[in-house]
Amino acid sequence: MTRFALALVAMAIAAGAHAGDAARGKQKAEQVCAACHGPDGNKPSAPDQPVLAGQYEDYLVRALSDYKNGRRNNAIMKGFAGQLSKQDIEDLAAWFSSQPQTALHDQR
Amino acid sequence: MVNFSIVHAMLGAVIALGMQSAAAQGKPKPPADKAPTVQENRPATAQKSLPIENFHAQCIGCHGIPGYKTAFPDVYHVPKIAGQQPGYIIAALKAYKAGERSHPSMRGIAASLNEEQMKELAEYYGAPAK
Repeated sequence: MTRFALALVAMAIAAGAHAGDAARGKQKAEQVCAACHGPDGNKPSAPDQPVLAGQYEDYLVRALSDYKNGRRNNAIMKGFAGQLSKQDIEDLAAWFSSQPQTALHDQR
Repeated sequence: MVNFSIVHAMLGAVIALGMQSAAAQGKPKPPADKAPTVQENRPATAQKSLPIENFHAQCIGCHGIPGYKTAFPDVYHVPKIAGQQPGYIIAALKAYKAGERSHPSMRGIAASLNEEQMKELAEYYGAPAK
C-alpha cells in the first residue's frame, strides 16, 4: 500500500514536470500569437495559417519546438517560436489545446 | 491442408469486405464506372486522372484515427486535420515536399502529390463539421 502511494506521488511529480499552465499560456498567447491565430487559436488572420484551438497538446509542443530549433523551416514562425522558452511552449500548448471552440473536428 | 486453404480464403474475403466498408464509410459508394482504379502499373503521367479518393487512403491510416500517435522515437499525437484551414493544409504539404518540414512519412507522401491533388485533399479535409 505504501509502495502504491509512493508510486502515485512519483507519477504526479513526473506529470507535473511536463505540464503546461494554460493560464500562463493565455497571457503569452495574447502577447505573441493572437494577432495571427486569434486569442484562442480559432481565428487565423490568413488562409494559410492554422487553427490551433483544440489541436493535440503534444503536437503543438512539437511544432513550436521544431520552429525554434530549425527542424521546421518557416521564417515567420522561427521568429516567434525563437523567443519562447520551453516552459512558454508548454504553457501555450496547454492553452490552445484546451480551447473547446474550434473548427477542428473528427467527422468524416 | 485443404482446410487451411479454405480458412485462408475466407479470411481474405473477410479482410477485403472490411476494407471495402471502411473505404465507403461516410461517403456514398461511387458508381462502378467511377470506382477508384488501381494505381500500380500505370505511368506517372496518368496519376492526374485518378479520382482523389485514391489519395485519401494515404491520409486516413494516421490522420483518420482519433488519438493516434506517431511511432518511436518521437512519439506525439498525429495532428487533427479535419476542419483545418485548406490554405494551411496546402502550405504544410508543400513545406514537406520542399524539405522544410522533416517528418519522413509526410515527406514521402507529399512528394508524390502534385499541386492540384494537394488542393483537392485540402478542400476535402478542410471542410467544416456538418
